[in-house]
Amino acid sequence: MTAPGVLLYRPPHARDEATARVGMLLFLGSWAMMFAGLFFALGVVRWRSPMWPPEEVGPLPVGWAALNTVLLVGSSLLLEMALRSVRSGRLGRMTAALGAALAVGVAFVASQVGLFVRMADLGLRWDAGAFGGAVFGLCGFHALHAAVGLVGLAAVLLAAGRGALQPGRHLRLRLWTQYWHFVGVVWLILFPAVFAGGRGG
Amino acid sequence: MIAEEHLDREALELAEALQPIHHPPHSFFRKYLWSLDHKVIAKQYLWSGLIFLLVGGTLAMVIRWQWAFPGRAVPVLGPVFFRDSGGAVGPAQYMQVFTMHGLIMIFFAITPILIGAFGNYCIPLLIGARDMAFPWLNALSYWVFALSLCLVIGSFLGELGAAGAGWTTYPPLSTNVGTPGSGQTLMVAAVFVTGVSSIMGGINYVTTVIRLRAPGMTYFRMPLTVWGLFLTAVLNVLFVPVLGSAALLLLLDRTLGTQFYLAGAATQGGGDPILFQHLFWIFGHPEVYILILPAWGIVGDLLAYFSRKPANWYRGSVLSMVAVTVLSAVVYGHHMFMTGINPLLGQGFMVLTLIISIPAELLFLNWLRTIWKGSMRLTTPMLFALGMVFVFGLGGLTGLYLGAVAPDFYLHDTMFVVGHFHFTMAAASFLASFAGLYFWFPKMFGRSMSEPLGKTHFWVTVVGITLVFGGQLLAGYSGQHRRLYDPFVYQYLQPLRALNRYTSYAAFILFLGQLAFIWNFFHSLVRGPKAEANPWQVGTLEWSIPSPPPMHNFDHLPVVRRGPHELSSPEVRARLGRDWIGQAEVLPDAHDVPKTAPARG
Repeated sequence: MTAPGVLLYRPPHARDEATARVGMLLFLGSWAMMFAGLFFALGVVRWRSPMWPPEEVGPLPVGWAALNTVLLVGSSLLLEMALRSVRSGRLGRMTAALGAALAVGVAFVASQVGLFVRMADLGLRWDAGAFGGAVFGLCGFHALHAAVGLVGLAAVLLAAGRGALQPGRHLRLRLWTQYWHFVGVVWLILFPAVFAGGRGG
Repeated sequence: MIAEEHLDREALELAEALQPIHHPPHSFFRKYLWSLDHKVIAKQYLWSGLIFLLVGGTLAMVIRWQWAFPGRAVPVLGPVFFRDSGGAVGPAQYMQVFTMHGLIMIFFAITPILIGAFGNYCIPLLIGARDMAFPWLNALSYWVFALSLCLVIGSFLGELGAAGAGWTTYPPLSTNVGTPGSGQTLMVAAVFVTGVSSIMGGINYVTTVIRLRAPGMTYFRMPLTVWGLFLTAVLNVLFVPVLGSAALLLLLDRTLGTQFYLAGAATQGGGDPILFQHLFWIFGHPEVYILILPAWGIVGDLLAYFSRKPANWYRGSVLSMVAVTVLSAVVYGHHMFMTGINPLLGQGFMVLTLIISIPAELLFLNWLRTIWKGSMRLTTPMLFALGMVFVFGLGGLTGLYLGAVAPDFYLHDTMFVVGHFHFTMAAASFLASFAGLYFWFPKMFGRSMSEPLGKTHFWVTVVGITLVFGGQLLAGYSGQHRRLYDPFVYQYLQPLRALNRYTSYAAFILFLGQLAFIWNFFHSLVRGPKAEANPWQVGTLEWSIPSPPPMHNFDHLPVVRRGPHELSSPEVRARLGRDWIGQAEVLPDAHDVPKTAPARG
């Protein structure tokens, strides 16, 4: 009779957290595959098009899109700061960092919408060729994920305001931070895939 | 020994603290609709799957009628559904019938029965857990699935009829250029939504297996059924999202007018219809293993239980299943030999595809070695398991023709392909589903099914299925293309008229034979004799608790001591006087056993 691997057992709430983290990892892995499929499509479309972006579209607002990258990375760093703060018990600092991350995240989505409007002004349409579809479809789908993340972070902020987040009991913050990092990583691939390089065959 | 008991107790306390017993709900809503109990959710999936299995089967009969008697009025169904064409199936309707048959059978019949019902029912019970890791997500996954069923029904009511671009939904036929009706859009949406449900279920299954195994239930002590469902869930989590991306882009093309899949003069360029085929098959090839892995698992277990022998080389079977799971991700190109892909790429995919036959062969030999010299008990579940081995063998062998580039050029898009994937995906999956259903029915519903009716059902089904899909193989090998509305407008196919007609007769008998199952199922549900806790005398954890189990499954979580197939062990027979021992049962010390213990079983 072999002894079961019981020595690894930890207190129940830590085990509960581990279960939630396994679930989150699988969820993000799954969503990563969905975006991988979309990037595959984007890659094929871009590779096949004679010119990127197409001739009739003016120069893209690459600077604006780069600014969005800075915003998203900044909010991720702020969330990481909030996570470190709650681990070391500095709850006030955590709430401040979380609030700041949320504000920067909102700025990202707003700026993303602004980017779409600007590109529409440049004459880019989603139903005219694959380029427009890629920009509006893929970036729009990504922005939707960012918006979901904002709702989640806002809920965590409310919980923090109630004092529900304590050192060692901050699973919610941890999971939503992971989600937000995921949104950031997707953008870091999407940004060069759509905006970088370009023109010419 | 004392230290071990202490550790057992400590492990149990911690495991039980993680899974507290909840009181069963009383309101109708929480008990039957939004139930968090994995066993109720499994039955919800089972009912939905069985209903749509009947719908999909009926559509198959319409297709068979068309091939036997092209253009003649369909009896019974014709006057109701094809009134405009005088009861006969029109060409456009024919497209819709085979499209809906394929999509319904794959996504709304096999998937909910094999993965939704057995996955939900078996995983927690067989690994010794009180419920899934995320019960709330589990309930949500069923109701998202139910939403997709509504979309399927909506598709039938679409303005230009149901979806009609084939189950593979290739553009440009599946874009607004080919099928402008709302039925096609609704069906693509249904596939997307059911994919979301599959992902939720998959996350739940994988997490449950990783985190909630009872103390002592190591990975290599899990029944093969759990292994099959676990690997399927991994594939679901990783590859259904790729289908999601393909469906999402198709939906954008259809509704917002983007041009991901459109190319040519009418468009502003950049899109590519072949792109869809890549995305579809990156998902689609893992999908065929998604549908067969649980079947392999169930059959691997049942063959051992009813041969009263441990499964031959259990670890080998598990590793083969893992190997197939990994390989399934890298062979999708064999569906695209005819799209003009680089011949070198085609050869690479061919080699990878044929490599899959090695682990599959290993698994097959393990099954044969398991029943070899066993004391077989030919119960209904065992018969269905043996039938699955037979039809899977036929399906697997015909797959070799299609995996190799040269014969595929000749056989591509013929009825041979249809026969092949029906033998593997349809016949093998359904026979395993029936095997599982007959096997777990007493546990699920606390009543026994009739064995004579079950055996009648088995013989009609296995003979019928072999004749129907065998007929398709013959027709395809003779050159009959799939999806032809009336194959016999081509002179070279006219000699196949009789073959098609006899195949159709076999199909009608197969369909009628399912009445034996329907009667048996419903009659046993109400009138069947009460089942004991362990009617089949096997040792896995679900049989150590009452039939049907209480909501919390286990009063005390079991501490598992051995693998799932501890059958006919001489030691057990000497000390307990029977040929099986539970996975969590304590084997009494030799000196505690009276010398007069009867040796039987």
